[in-house]
Order: sequence, then structure tokens, then C-alpha cells
Amino acid sequence: MAGQVRRRAAPGQASSHRERTYAYLTLLPALLIVAGFTVYPLVYSVYLSLHREILTDPLNHPFTGLTNYAQVLGSYYLVSSTLSTIIFAALAVPAVLAFGLAVALLLNQSFAGSAFLRVVILLPWAMPAVISGIVWRWIFNGDYGVLNNLLSSLGIIHQYIPWLSTPATARAGLVVAQVWREGPLAAIFLLAALQTIPRELYSAAKVDGGGGWSAFRHVTLPMLRPTLSIVLIYETIVAVVTFDLVYVMTGGGPGDATSLISWYAYTEVFKFVNLGHGAALAFLIAAALVVVILIYLRALRSEELY
Amino acid sequence: MTGVRARLSRQHLIRTLGLWGATALVGLFVLGPILWMVDSSLQGENELLSRPSHILPVNPSFDNYNYIFTGEIPRSFAVRGAIRSRISQEARQIPQALENSVIVALGVTLINLLLGSLAAYSFARIRFRGKGLTFNFLLGSRLLPAMAIAIPYYTIINGLGQLDTYTALIVVYLTFTLPFTVWFLREYFLLLPKETEDAALIDGCNRFQTLVHIVLPLAAPAMVAAGAFAFMASYNEFLFALLLTQTINSQTLPVIIASVAVNPDASFALISVSVVLAMVPPLLFAIGIRRYLTRGLVGAIGHA
Amino acid sequence: MSDLDVLVNALNAGRVSRREFVSRGIALGLSTTVLGSVLAACAQTAQKSGGPVDLTFVTWSYGIDTIKSNIAKFEAQNPNTTVAFQDFSWLNYHDTMVTRFVGKTPTDLAYSSDHWLQEWAAAGWLAPLEDHFSQVRSYRADYFPYVTSGMTYNGKVYGIPYYADTWAFLYNADHLQRAGLSGPPATWDELTEQAKTIKSKGIANYPVILLFAQDDPGSIEVWTSMVFSRTDGHLFDSSFHPVFNQPGSAAAKTIDWISGSLRDTKILDPASLQSQEIPVVKGMESGAHTFTILETYNQAELNNPGVNKLAGNFKMAPMPGETQGTVGYVRFYAATGQLINRGADAVGAAGKFLEYFGGKTGDQFSPVVKRWAVENGLGFGWKSLWNDAEVKTAFNKWGDSAMLQKNQELARAKDGLTKFYPSWDVFSRTELQKAYLGQVSTQDALKAMADKWNELQKA
Repeated sequence: MAGQVRRRAAPGQASSHRERTYAYLTLLPALLIVAGFTVYPLVYSVYLSLHREILTDPLNHPFTGLTNYAQVLGSYYLVSSTLSTIIFAALAVPAVLAFGLAVALLLNQSFAGSAFLRVVILLPWAMPAVISGIVWRWIFNGDYGVLNNLLSSLGIIHQYIPWLSTPATARAGLVVAQVWREGPLAAIFLLAALQTIPRELYSAAKVDGGGGWSAFRHVTLPMLRPTLSIVLIYETIVAVVTFDLVYVMTGGGPGDATSLISWYAYTEVFKFVNLGHGAALAFLIAAALVVVILIYLRALRSEELY
Repeated sequence: MTGVRARLSRQHLIRTLGLWGATALVGLFVLGPILWMVDSSLQGENELLSRPSHILPVNPSFDNYNYIFTGEIPRSFAVRGAIRSRISQEARQIPQALENSVIVALGVTLINLLLGSLAAYSFARIRFRGKGLTFNFLLGSRLLPAMAIAIPYYTIINGLGQLDTYTALIVVYLTFTLPFTVWFLREYFLLLPKETEDAALIDGCNRFQTLVHIVLPLAAPAMVAAGAFAFMASYNEFLFALLLTQTINSQTLPVIIASVAVNPDASFALISVSVVLAMVPPLLFAIGIRRYLTRGLVGAIGHA
Repeated sequence: MSDLDVLVNALNAGRVSRREFVSRGIALGLSTTVLGSVLAACAQTAQKSGGPVDLTFVTWSYGIDTIKSNIAKFEAQNPNTTVAFQDFSWLNYHDTMVTRFVGKTPTDLAYSSDHWLQEWAAAGWLAPLEDHFSQVRSYRADYFPYVTSGMTYNGKVYGIPYYADTWAFLYNADHLQRAGLSGPPATWDELTEQAKTIKSKGIANYPVILLFAQDDPGSIEVWTSMVFSRTDGHLFDSSFHPVFNQPGSAAAKTIDWISGSLRDTKILDPASLQSQEIPVVKGMESGAHTFTILETYNQAELNNPGVNKLAGNFKMAPMPGETQGTVGYVRFYAATGQLINRGADAVGAAGKFLEYFGGKTGDQFSPVVKRWAVENGLGFGWKSLWNDAEVKTAFNKWGDSAMLQKNQELARAKDGLTKFYPSWDVFSRTELQKAYLGQVSTQDALKAMADKWNELQKA
């Protein structure tokens, strides 16, 4: 009750009937578009995941309950691809964050080079993921890749290395490409956050006798924490859900070293034409992601208390 | 005194050298693959494949660009006897695909900003029933994995008779980008000083007028940043572009380049030309917006 | 003449599509009911008079300018038929078509391929051509056996070849000469010896490169062709039970040869595991390798002096195995179930289209069949086309027509083509790579592949 009275008293916060109507009207277009492409696909996918839907068996679609979920959980690829995904995310997400932070600190310096970098850094973001994958695969090629060419003309290697043909180097190569593609976005976000840190905080740190590292440790990092959290969550989602760059680069190989779980969700639908499995796996991935995000949020919040 | 100054200037020198060294490293990493594409696009196939390959073109030529725009077959692919050298004819669609991509991306960007700012402002300033629910619904919609919705999306667009149209791509990309835009602009609007808006409201402006005359001018950097995200996301998208387009009337660059790149008669030089041309619109875009982009982000993130 | 009459005439002449007709009609202020009855009337007249037919033809994106000019010529000869043409990237063609079929998007004729036929036919997306086009049955006798079997599902022929190529053993003759070798190897052991010689003389660090990239569908075909070239080179018995998992099988020997070449003798380029078709071709063009297995049309590219300064050095030899067997595949024109449902006129027009694009009348092949062979060097499915002097001359410019023909006679369609082949294929490509890398033993990999097969067969 008291709240209502207060709301009415402050003109900016008051929401008259007319205002509410205005609010609904302005939300409507955006909501309609998003809902139109969310509700039906969602219902449709839930339906698929609970039925036997194999396109090569067009006349046989019984309700099967949770069978699809059980079959996907028991599939041959689940363990290995979950492992590949975790390894990839565990390497790529920190690498993207570290790169983004380092570049943001560099861009935050005022000198001619940073103006140049601020434009250049946007370019990888603009390159379609499939194209980036093609380009990086070419760079890492073991026979005529420019990386081998460069390293051998600098005398660093004496024999060309087939980077994407052994599990360890293939994973490393993917991380490099992922940093190239995702790092710039992280850098731009962190740069923006850096610029919101009040100068006075650094002067105060200096008075306390803190040098560059100490200022970074006690001022910059804590101030960046909210943005770092957003970037961390976003990059985790990207690493788990999108597979195009990775897949174009390595095709999941060698062996199953880079076969990510999201790729199997795509494969179930488009290669095995088993729509039920595909939908079930997609929901399982989404659920796992929600759990990971909740754990992140809890961990980040509990740290903030101390 | 001079000693101190010398020390200071030496420190300054080291700092400058360090900064430029780091810039060179980052620049090399970020630009390397792109420069290499530019380089390859100017080389003949023979040079690209020689071992060790030339890092710089020996006889740079624009033949490959010329082929894409005029259809004149590069000298190295000349006609001989009964057999014509094979060349990826699909590459000739690049200019049209470029146009399609830019139209779709700009369309998404404009509509996105229009609808996004309207919704975001109401979310930021007006209390109404269902606010939390609708806001979370918008954000949550992005958790659906693309693989799960690809076929339903196709069914919807097909049912509306909109396959192979700009409209289909624009609407689908709006559903991908609107949630972010609404969230992002709302954060920014919440930061703006409310007093000016209140004054405008008391002076008899309605919400819409306040948004247009007071809020949007203040929020220009955020609009640019949100627009940039929408543009890049639409310009890059591949899977849905592949499924929802059918002919060069609407096929976008990623679709055409992916198709050129896997053709057995594609030359590396031709693929490079396609990639280089694909970088031009976003590069112009990036140069145009760079000033606003960080400022816009500063606002929204300062609040986060 | 009223506006409506103009519009109806335009519709009948095929100048406007039905959708355009409706939207223009609405602009004229007509209700959709009126338009609906007009359309129905038009459809009836079309039925009676053999009026205009619109066909939708879908291909993957290769040589689209050539396809378009072929369509233009066909339309000029058949003024009553218009062809709407759409093309999709080869790498995503299957996935795009699945979506299209599920969405019931109008599609009358489309490219298909032997490894998708079972799936598409089982789903009811394709119609058996021989039930609807009488000429298809008569073509059959003139196909190489791998072509017929690649287009057959449940005993019926579902296609007319667009092209039909074989996997061939190719080598760089210059390397052999420099190494003092008199000719290409006849067995896999001999290949190992020759490669060791070439490696030791420093001519090529990795004399062998193979198309083994996991995401290239060719990778399973290359492996299968290596199995076929050996004694008892079969993967399954006649009732589709795996035989590849028996100890000492041709499959086991093939894996052993590959992993030995990769890890012990180091004659096989480790980059093979990441190499799709184009990188293998470019690798050969760069002179870095001596031996490979590729589709024969790539020999045309390798011996193309405009692109490649080593042109002329690339020769073909029979597969180096006891039987010299290999894999042949067919990409073909197929008709959809939708087309058949459209009735006699559409089916009749499609029959003319198929004949123009892939058929022959008497001994006379359609110009399109010859064009792909002569201009693009694509292999073809017809035995008697080798009698054509123009075709023979064209192929002899970059290859050896007798050798090509012999490879086609020895070729077989892939073993195990069933509707669950795609699932087994994806699984097997991973297992094979693990075995090449030594992460699992040959026997364990083959056992896993057999278990997977049995599981899929049961389901």
C-alpha cells in the first residue's frame, strides 16, 4: 500500500492507466516477433522429443515418453563429446577472457596505436564464423599453410607440422581461432568497463603506495568484475552452443578430439534425420547450460560477499 | 635534475616501445588472417601452391576480382581446345550476395533499433503488470539452441509463403537480436538522469515524445552500439540463411562463399577474393561507428 | 478484354506464377474465392490441353551457369514448360533438402546421390522413376554396374545419371622417374616400398596423401575403395551382415596399412586426416606428394596447364590391390513424390526434361550429357558414350580413356547402402581415425563399427 502511494507521488514513476497502455503497445511488436518464433518452435520441439520421429520411417510416430532422452543419454557419443566440449570450453573461455582483458588494457592507453587498433579489432567480429573456419583451416594446413611457411622461414621449425591432425595441436588450434573470433568482442566490452572506472580510485591507490600491479589487483579487477562475469557467461554459452567455427575447422577430428556435443544435436536432426533425438539432446544441452550459469552466478555472488 | 629527466624520458621511451610492440603483436594476430586473404586474392593459383609459397605476391594481379565483376575469365583459366579450364562459376554471384547481405543487415538494424528502443524505454521507466515475466521471456528465448528450432522456423516461414525473401531473413534475425537490444538499451536508459524526463512529462510531453526528444538524443551512443550488434549478427549468420533462402534473389554472402569454398573447381585465389569483398561492408561500418561504440557500451556497462 | 482476362491469359502463358497471380488479382480488387475458382478452372484447362507446366528443379551449386544455359535451351525447345531453378551448397545439400522435404516445399526434380537414395526413398520423398518414365528401363542395359546399383532401391531404379565417377589411384610420374622407378605399384606392399624410396631420396617427404578429413563424405569412399582393391574386399555379406570385423579381413589389412604408413614408415602425410578434396588436389598440384586416390575428374584439374605448372605429370593406374577393385558413385536426377502427385501433365513435362538432361534417343546422347563430360571432365555412367569420338578425345587430353573405362568396369557401389548408412558412416569415420592414430586397435575399431551396424539394423 505504502509503495503505491509513493509511486503515485513521484511523477516519473507513476504509471497511469494511459502509461500502462502505452507500455503494452510499445512492447507488443517486439514481443510478438519473438514469441511467434519461440512458442511454436518450443512446443513443436517438446512434442518431437516425446515421440519417435525418424524421417526414414514416415508412418510410425508413437508417443514414447522419455525414451528419446534415455537413448541420447546412453548414446555412444555422449561421454566423449561432453568431454571434448568441456576441454574446449575450459581452454577457450579463459583464453578469450585473458586476451580480451589484455587488449582492453592496451586500448585504454592513449596513444596513436590504440586508435588504429580500435578499428582493426572489430574486423574478426564481422567475419562469418563459417568463413573464419575455412580461413583458419587453411592457415593451419600441414602442407601449404601460411603458419608453417612463416615458422619455417623464421627458422623456428624445420619440418612442416600438420597442426590439425593430432588431438593436442588440433585443440590448441581451435582455441586460437576461437580467441581470434571471440576475443575482440570481449575486449570491446572490457574496454568500455575500464573507461567507467573513476580516476580517483587510482590516485587513492597510489597514495596507499600501490604500484601498477597492485592498482590492477585492487582497483581494476574488482571494478571489472561485473563485466567479466557477463563476458564469462556469454563466452561459455558460445563455447557450448555454437559449433560452426569449430566444425568447419576440424570436422570434429582427429578421431573425436574436437567433436562437440552441439554438433551431435545438429547431426541427429540433419544427418541421422532423427528429429526426436535431436530435440531431446537440444533440451539436455540447454538444461546443462542453465545449471552451469546458475553455478557461475552463485559463485560470483558469494565471492562478492567477502 | 637532468638525471631525473633522462630517467623519465627513458621510462617514457620504454613505455612507448612496449605499447607499440604490444600493438604490433595484437595487430598482427587480428589482421594476419585478413591480410593474408588480401595477399592471396592478388596471387595466381600457381604462386599460392608453390613450396615454399610466396608470402608476398610476385606478380600481383586483379584478374580474380575482374572475373567476379565482369565474368572475364582470368588468364590462368584460358580456354584451350575442347576443354575449358574449370572455374567456380558460383563466385560470380558474390556482388549480388553482397547486396543481399547489406540490405538484410541494415533492415534488421533499423527495425531492431525502432522496436527495441520503444520496448526498452517502457521496460526502464513504466511499471506494469507482467513486466518481469515478459522481460525474462525475451531474454530466455535466446536459450533455445538453434538446432532445435531450425526446422520449426522453416515450417513457419514456409507456411507464410516467405521462403527466399528478405522479409524472412529480417524477421528471423530480429528474433535473434531484439532480446539483446532490449536488455542493452534498458540498462542504458536506466542510467540516464530521470529529472529531465520528469520535467518533460510535467510539461505535458507524453512518454513517446519524451523518448524521441529527450531520451534518444542522450542515448545515441547506446543506439549505435546496439545497432552494431544487430548488424554484425545478421551479416554473419549462416545456418538460417542457408535454410531459408533458395536463389540468389535472397542468398547472403556466407551462403555463397561457403558454396564456392567447397566446389572442386574453386581456386584459393577466388575464395580469397570472396572473403576480402565480404569484409568491405563491415569495415566501412566499423570505421563509421567506432567512436560511438565504446561510449555506448561504457554507459550500459557502467550500470551492470 | 477485362483486367482479369489479361491476367488469366498471362497465367496460362506461364508469364506469371500462381502466387503472383493471386497477389495481382487481389490488387485488382478480386476476392480470393473468385481467384480460387479461376485458378481451379485454369488447372482444369491445363489438364485437358497439355497447357503450361512449371517445374522446380533443385541442384547443388556446381557449374550453375552451365545448368542455366542448359535450362534456357530446354525451355526454347519446350515452350510450354518453364523451369524454376534453385541451387544449394554441396556441403549442406543433404541437410537443406531434408528441411525442404519436411517443409513440403514444392520440388519436382532434384539432384540426388547414391548415399542418400535409401533415406530419401524410404521417407517417401523420391518416386521410382522407372514406374513413371518408360525410357528409364531401356537405359539400364547401357549403365556400368555400379551406376545401376547406386540408383536402385528395393529393386527399382530411381534416377538418371547426372554424372558417375570412380575413385582412382593417381601418381606423379615425374617423382617416379626421378626415383628411378619403372612404373606405378601393383600392390599395397609395393606402394610402401616405392614410397620409402621416394622419401629416402628426398623427392617427397610424405609421398602419399589421402582424402581422410572426417567432414568430407569422400573419406569413407576412399577407405572403402582401398578395401575393395584387396582380395575378398567386401564389408558385408549378401544379407548385409558385417564381415569386415573378421580377423585378417580386407578392412583390417587396410587399416593396418594406413596406420603403419602414418606412424611407422611415415610415408603417409599426417595432414591427410584434415584434408578434404580440394586440399588433396592442391597438395598434389604443389608437387609435395607422389600418390593419392581421387575422383577421376580431378585428374583433369591436375593436368590443367593454366592452373598448374606440373600439369602433364599426373597419371592414373589401377588401384594397387590384388583385385584392382574400387568404388564408383553416381549422382543422378531424381523425381519427387510431389511431382507424381501433380498429375499427368507435370509428369509428362518432367519426362521431357529428364530426357534432355540425362537421356538418349537411340544411340544419340542428349547434349547435356556430353557437355558435362567434354567441358568439365565429369565421369559418366554410360558404357556406350565411350564410343563417341568427341568425348574420347576430350578425356584423352588429360587422362587415359582406356584406363578410365577399365576403372569403371572394376568399380562397385559402396557396400552397405541402407537407410541407416548415414548414421553408421558418421560413427565409422571417427572410429577409423582413432584406429589410424593408434588410439584404439584395428580390431577394436572394427568391432565397434560392427556392433554399431548391428544395433542400427535391429532398430
